Amino acid sequence: MNTWTRELARATAAEWVKLRSVRSTWWCLACMTVFLVLGALAIGGGTVTELVRDGQPGTLSASDPVTSAAVFAQFGLVALAMLTITPEYASGGIRTTLQATPVRGRVLAAKALVLAPVTFAAGVVAGGVATAAVHLVLSAEVFGGRVTAPFAEVVPDLLSMGVFFALVSVTTLGLGFATRSSAGTLTTAFMLLMGVPLLLVMTGTSIGFEASLRMPLFAGLAFMGSSDTPMGGAVPYPASQGLVWLLVWTVAATALGHAVLRRRDA
Amino acid sequence: MISLNGLRKRYGDRTVIDELSLDVRPGAVTGFLGPNGAGKSTTMRLILGLDRPTAGTALIGGLPYHRIRNPLRTVGALLDARALHPGRSGRAHLTALARSNGIPLRRVTEVLETVGLGKAARGRAGALSLGMSQRLGIAAALLGDPEVLMFDEPVNGLDPDGVRWVRDLMRSLADEGRTVFVSSHLMSEMQLTADHLVVIGRGRLIADAPLAEIIARGSLTAVVVRTPHADDLAVRLGAAGLRWERPGENELVVTGATVEHVGDLAHEAGIRLHELRPREASLEQAYQELTADSVEYGARRERV
Ligand SMILES: Nc1ncnc2c1ncn2[C@@H]1O[C@H](COP(=O)(O)OP(=O)(O)OP(=O)(O)O)[C@@H](O)[C@H]1O
Ligand SMILES: [Mg+2]
Repeated sequence: MNTWTRELARATAAEWVKLRSVRSTWWCLACMTVFLVLGALAIGGGTVTELVRDGQPGTLSASDPVTSAAVFAQFGLVALAMLTITPEYASGGIRTTLQATPVRGRVLAAKALVLAPVTFAAGVVAGGVATAAVHLVLSAEVFGGRVTAPFAEVVPDLLSMGVFFALVSVTTLGLGFATRSSAGTLTTAFMLLMGVPLLLVMTGTSIGFEASLRMPLFAGLAFMGSSDTPMGGAVPYPASQGLVWLLVWTVAATALGHAVLRRRDA
Repeated sequence: MISLNGLRKRYGDRTVIDELSLDVRPGAVTGFLGPNGAGKSTTMRLILGLDRPTAGTALIGGLPYHRIRNPLRTVGALLDARALHPGRSGRAHLTALARSNGIPLRRVTEVLETVGLGKAARGRAGALSLGMSQRLGIAAALLGDPEVLMFDEPVNGLDPDGVRWVRDLMRSLADEGRTVFVSSHLMSEMQLTADHLVVIGRGRLIADAPLAEIIARGSLTAVVVRTPHADDLAVRLGAAGLRWERPGENELVVTGATVEHVGDLAHEAGIRLHELRPREASLEQAYQELTADSVEYGARRERV
């Protein structure tokens, strides 16, 4: 290992200790899981009821409503990501962090390197729990036996949800470094991830609609292949394009956070 | 060794540190004094690379802070004892710091024992008293066994035993050849701890000299002489250009002279002396005279 990777590995190990040693981390993960399960049951229940009522053919993969619910449950991880940085600015602990790791970009990288795998894993695990819950509850005969859990659909759904959560968390981290406050991070993250895209759709203009499609909300839903989205049906472009837009937002937020972190006094 | 060279810091259009140049040498405790708002904490932040200087450099062992590899093993600093996550345990806080700089984890236990925090470090840091947080902060500074130590008002909130412990700690760190740079407002404590003093006011250097020299500059430093021939001696002193006061019939207080000088003058004139001794001013007095013009946030002295 060369010096650069060794020092990054050390900073990352430190961030891992910090993440797991505060209770809020575990609270946020629990909240996200609860949101995801309840959201998936509500959305899945609605979809299945419609299928049955309208006498349409076809089945629903148990993981599909889970991916739709992910865009609500993501806020549990937004809080988690935010809490890895803004309390440091509030308490002045950021100065201790930068004393230990004075190369500033390395601090951001280390936090991202901890957050991304943790939130990816959390997405896969919580997604699995939610998928099982949907299957358990909605595959019953009263719902027409329309819900199935085919391996070939569930696995990619869970993986893409993990990636979506990881990217949203890193985006939030970037916003945290850029705004340096919990209030600023929550506001900007909510507007970026939910508020603005919904407002744009509500304008009813085609330009607003086109713009909202490129924001993380619909990009994420496209990437995860959800069939039930706030715009009615599925997002009208392929998953790969959704991933590209997600990455664009993640890189932009991270670059912004990095620029502020480098430029400003701690 | 810490070297500041033409250091300047502006916040907006306010110059807070102005042309600060000085060296903090190893093997000594260097006290860092100045009125509230003089720029002590800012200087320390500049040294640690937390704030970017407007001009000039702050180097540690010839390197800017961000160029030092595993800096906690070279520089230990306590800026603000309360600056940590209140929900994290003291031990986890130190563990994260140790991990970040490749410091063996047994050091965490060692420094916690050194500062006497063993058990308390398992609970939430937010539940620690101010003095205990201060001890945790000192533990963090000692963690990497560093060559250079910086403390911003370390005895703030400590009980008398703690104050004494910090004094002994600073002394022993300096005696081991380390560089110790410590700010404080407690002059009596500094007088007991420091070898060397740096005094700043409104961001400018006022004094950079050994403790003894700074105290000697105080106007209350004088030579006290008791003699049955005070009249004769007073004439001699006046002829030698020395200023004196005569608090009693047989007593003279001479300022601006050494004991040797006064003793020699008396001897040459054949004047019998009953007492000849230096009167030391306190650091407190000398400090107040040095900084009288640069106190920004002094309470107004009301006339009664
Ligand atoms: N981030 C900042 N932005 C603007 N002004 C600042 C900032 N940090 C410090 N100052 C100003 O710089 C001056 C020096 O502050 P500093 O905290 O360094 O003083 P100090 O000598 O440590 O004082 P004290 O003895 O009260 O701790 C003060 O006037 C303060 O208001
Ligand atoms: Mg200060």
